[in-house]
Amino acid sequence: MSEALSQHSPLSGLPPVRSVFAGLCVPGRHGRAEGPASVTVAERTGLAIASVLARRGCEAQLADAVSARFGLALPTAPTRAAAGDVAFLWTGPGQWLAIAEPAAAAGFVAGLASTLDGAASVADQSHGRGVLRLAGPRLRDVLAKGIAVDLHPRAFGPGHVAATFCAHLDVLLWQLDDVPTFEIAVARGFAGSFWHWLEASSAMVGLAVTPEA
Amino acid sequence: MSAPAFRNPQGGLVDRATTLDFSFDGQRYAGHPGDTLASALVANGVRLVARSFKYHRPRGILSAGPEEPNALVELRAGARREPNTRATTAELYDGLVAQSQNRWPSLAFDVLAVNQLAAPMLTAGFYYKTFMWPASFWEKLYEPLIRRAAGLGRGAEVPDPDLYEKATLHCDVLVIGGGPAGLAAALAAGRSGARVVLADEDFRFGGRLLAETHEIDGMPGAAWADQAVATLAAMPEVRLLSRTTVFGVYDHGAYGAVERVSDHLAVPQPFEPRQRLWRIVARRTVLAAGAIERPLVFGDNDRPGVMLAGAARTYANRFAARPGSTAVVFATHDDGGRTVTDLAAAGVSVAALVDARTEVPAVVRQAAEAVEARLYAEAVVTRVHGRGGVQAVDIRTASFTTTLDCDLVCMAGGWSPTLHLTSHLGGRPAWDPDGQAFLPGALPSGLQVAGAAAGTFGLREILVEATYAGVEAATAAGFPGTGVEAPRAEREAIDGVALWRVRDHKGKAFVDFQNDVTDSDIVQAEREAYRSVEHMKRYTTLGMATDQGKTSSVNAVGILAEATGKPIRETGTTTFRPPYTPVAIGALAGHHRGRSFRPTRLTAAHGWAAAQGASFIESGPWLRAQWFPRPGETDWLQSCTREVKAVRSAVGICDVSTLGKIDIQGPAAAVLLDRLYANTMSTLPIGRARYGLMLREDGFVFDDGTVSRHGPERYLMTTTTAQAGKVMQHIEHALQWLWPSLDVQAVSVTEQWAQFAVAGPRSRELLARITDGHDVSDAAVPYMAAVELTALGGVPARLYRISFSGELAYEIGVPSGFGEALAAALMAAGSDLGVMPYGLEAMSVMRIEKGHVAGGELNGQTTAADLGLGKMVSSKKDFIGRTMAQRPALTDPDRPTLVGFRTVNAADRVTSGAHFLDAGAAPTMANDLGHITSVAFSPAEGRWIGLGLMVRGPQRIGERVRAWDGVRNRDVPIELCSPCFYDPAGARLRG
Repeated sequence: MSEALSQHSPLSGLPPVRSVFAGLCVPGRHGRAEGPASVTVAERTGLAIASVLARRGCEAQLADAVSARFGLALPTAPTRAAAGDVAFLWTGPGQWLAIAEPAAAAGFVAGLASTLDGAASVADQSHGRGVLRLAGPRLRDVLAKGIAVDLHPRAFGPGHVAATFCAHLDVLLWQLDDVPTFEIAVARGFAGSFWHWLEASSAMVGLAVTPEA
Repeated sequence: MSAPAFRNPQGGLVDRATTLDFSFDGQRYAGHPGDTLASALVANGVRLVARSFKYHRPRGILSAGPEEPNALVELRAGARREPNTRATTAELYDGLVAQSQNRWPSLAFDVLAVNQLAAPMLTAGFYYKTFMWPASFWEKLYEPLIRRAAGLGRGAEVPDPDLYEKATLHCDVLVIGGGPAGLAAALAAGRSGARVVLADEDFRFGGRLLAETHEIDGMPGAAWADQAVATLAAMPEVRLLSRTTVFGVYDHGAYGAVERVSDHLAVPQPFEPRQRLWRIVARRTVLAAGAIERPLVFGDNDRPGVMLAGAARTYANRFAARPGSTAVVFATHDDGGRTVTDLAAAGVSVAALVDARTEVPAVVRQAAEAVEARLYAEAVVTRVHGRGGVQAVDIRTASFTTTLDCDLVCMAGGWSPTLHLTSHLGGRPAWDPDGQAFLPGALPSGLQVAGAAAGTFGLREILVEATYAGVEAATAAGFPGTGVEAPRAEREAIDGVALWRVRDHKGKAFVDFQNDVTDSDIVQAEREAYRSVEHMKRYTTLGMATDQGKTSSVNAVGILAEATGKPIRETGTTTFRPPYTPVAIGALAGHHRGRSFRPTRLTAAHGWAAAQGASFIESGPWLRAQWFPRPGETDWLQSCTREVKAVRSAVGICDVSTLGKIDIQGPAAAVLLDRLYANTMSTLPIGRARYGLMLREDGFVFDDGTVSRHGPERYLMTTTTAQAGKVMQHIEHALQWLWPSLDVQAVSVTEQWAQFAVAGPRSRELLARITDGHDVSDAAVPYMAAVELTALGGVPARLYRISFSGELAYEIGVPSGFGEALAAALMAAGSDLGVMPYGLEAMSVMRIEKGHVAGGELNGQTTAADLGLGKMVSSKKDFIGRTMAQRPALTDPDRPTLVGFRTVNAADRVTSGAHFLDAGAAPTMANDLGHITSVAFSPAEGRWIGLGLMVRGPQRIGERVRAWDGVRNRDVPIELCSPCFYDPAGARLRG
């Protein structure tokens, strides 16, 4: 029986959500153990995630609604725009992934659907995607083992988004800062395969799973 | 183990302070860091290292690089054994173990050397001529015999214990080759600030600078190379990849390269891969791959001790190893002079310089005089004496012949540019009559060639050209260079003439050493009308060994041109394909082997199913529970039958999360659905679900599933597990290409929902216990209802009253983070109801009992009518596939059509794929009535039943025919019946 369910008590209301990388992304070291880990990873749990697809011809109306509600400019290229606890990531023409931090996650998707009603179709993906936060000096070398996109600072920087493949899997990758810190979203069903790739690919430089920030 | 007898006490680039112990064919030897296996063998006086492929002739080391056709060994032992490793590129390490290959019982005495006696039979085309008849002998006799006789080493035959990885590397300028040209180009490009990758296959940068006695900018060549490497290493955007072979050119500036990360170690360091495959993406590329020296073709030119002159200089200069004691140098090129000088300096006695040219340049004459070597001008070596190694050579001049004792013959036949990569995208090398060499033809986009690879010989000119190329490449990539000065070197003597073969030689004169192709094979091919260079190649197998003819192809073209009487320009050359040198399959696979061969997709409740002891089966990328064995069950059928009975009598739960789920929204959602499905969806009320049948454009059935309506403009489509991705593509194609004006948005939500079937007469009772008090009565949730409610204490859920099993049944979906909680809650809440998890097998039994079609019937070749679903197809609207479904062949009443059957004898078993035959009919195509698509052991019927597609099957219900299975040798009487075996009125599912 799952760890998640054993914690469930009828008195506590909802059973706990089993995160996508539960049982995989367990704090500790993987691979080379000497010295500081060159890559760190933590799962981002408690996010609200929604796909947002513009209705035909409603991009401007949608951008206005997003700007008014969230105070950010809806991206029209593969970039991420964030304000406060909410970010919109461009994933294709007329398509975005909207992500709310845990503090703003409650009711986010339903609220988004109502805010954007008539301008976009919104579908909840909060449970369908796992998000990992990755950082460290050798991170780009590790990502290069699965991702063919050029992540050199001259080519890819904070705010950039790539919808691409990693080790035969669809992933969405975005950069947060120059550390560099990246986040990557993976379909729940493939989390095990992705994690196995990440462990294998970072073993050489040392991977540390850190508790969520 | 004795000290290497042929190692000079000083000079060279080996580290004498450290001794490396290695073994070849069980004999222990000593070498040093900086050695290759070949140089260490040379230093130890080992001359015989291999047996040839076809004739099993004794062979020695021909070259000092990747072009080596002879010195192929099995490197390492056990699981790490690598056959066909070139000793000339294998870096020596302590404890290295190598074995000669292609010989039995030993290298010195090889039984199959008798093939030489049969040589007249083994000439060009012998495969085609000898093994033609009888055809039945090929598989059983000829092929195994040839393979055994011609084996090129043995694979390890056990899993490789090492890691391999793949990575992508982007750059502005890729420089291929780290010799003088590559270093100069990289320096020039690197100074511009461009991102530069310099790749060289050697473990030390410098190329020919390490092997010759050049000076650059007033310092020895090797020292200049070291300084250049240090300069490059200090540039932050330059990446140096040594031990890296760029083996292929692909579209859009992509290059394949393999980095031998750990091949120079006995065992890789922890977590380090043995090899890394690089996909290098470059804006511009400078190919500075240098050139490969041509052997000379004369009698018995393959004897151990016959070596390329450049290789002999490499062993003498770079490795301080004497490749022999007494040398004869046979040259058509000024390199002859260089060779006698360097050999003498290394302590090799040079008996003679045999120069084929009428006019031998003064610089060469002086070189011979200086070392007191006899100079034979306008002369050739006609034959080598000595079987296991060179003992003497016959020399023929214009006026006399003579024989000289020696143990080393060096061949300086001129150089062929290493242009292989330029032809990977189809470029054809072009003959340059002045330079007597093939030069790169049409180049891959973004690639330029510099130095010897471009046919520029002479260090001084090479450095200027390569510096310019580096600046040009960086500029083209957006990094203009400024005031870069080329390194300076003295002019060199680089003249030569072409001599494709020595006429009237005795013995065999080899052109392709690795595939044992001689000059007479080429002449014979021409005589037998294989005159095109492509035909000659295939008829003789020249250039088709693992070395891809690096040392043989140009000589072969020259000989063919002589034989046909056509100029070389018209004769042309064959082209080269990736890889430039062999690449291990392990490197190409990288991380993706074993369980990582392809990604595995797990449902949200996978851990729960595993804890229940499920046996899993692959279903596309998914793993699905097939059945759940219980203690005492010894056979899958026992488990499956128990699960079916539990569902039919009580309640069962089954994870159906793998079905594709597509969220469809927008004002035109209903319009789109009507066009996608053969039946009408626009009339579906909110809160209801409907079965749907989708056709392909060609009119055949594509997929089936359900659509449920959750709002005025919101629907959820489900697909089969197998077709989920294709249906999503189909929808995207429709929205982006067929009807871009439709205001509909579709997105996959498969991963968002964990969904369980809850089936059986007590399913409603079970659901009522976990759905937070919501009304799930028949009135509130009637058959084909689709409602939203909560479960598990407030978790948003979707409940569908749909049935695949034929029982009262539901599917309940919750956000997938609650998937395991849902499964566990259903099991806990239903323990007193007899709840049982069931897997794919039980699900399949029940759907066959109900006559529902699935994978076996939805095979891409069936129409709606074939499946008994013709009435679903709307005639009132247009939809994808409608028109093509009306083609005569698709509406032929004699098409095999869905029918059910049961075995006549309860003890008989039937299998999918068996054919329907009339009683007494012979099993012929003419009598074939169709085939069985699905079978199951039906607990309800107490016998095997099934579905099949049979000509006029529905009209023959009640008749007896046969299920004939020629593969399993079964011939079973069966009775045709309706495909629906169980509760045909549907009373149970509406209960």
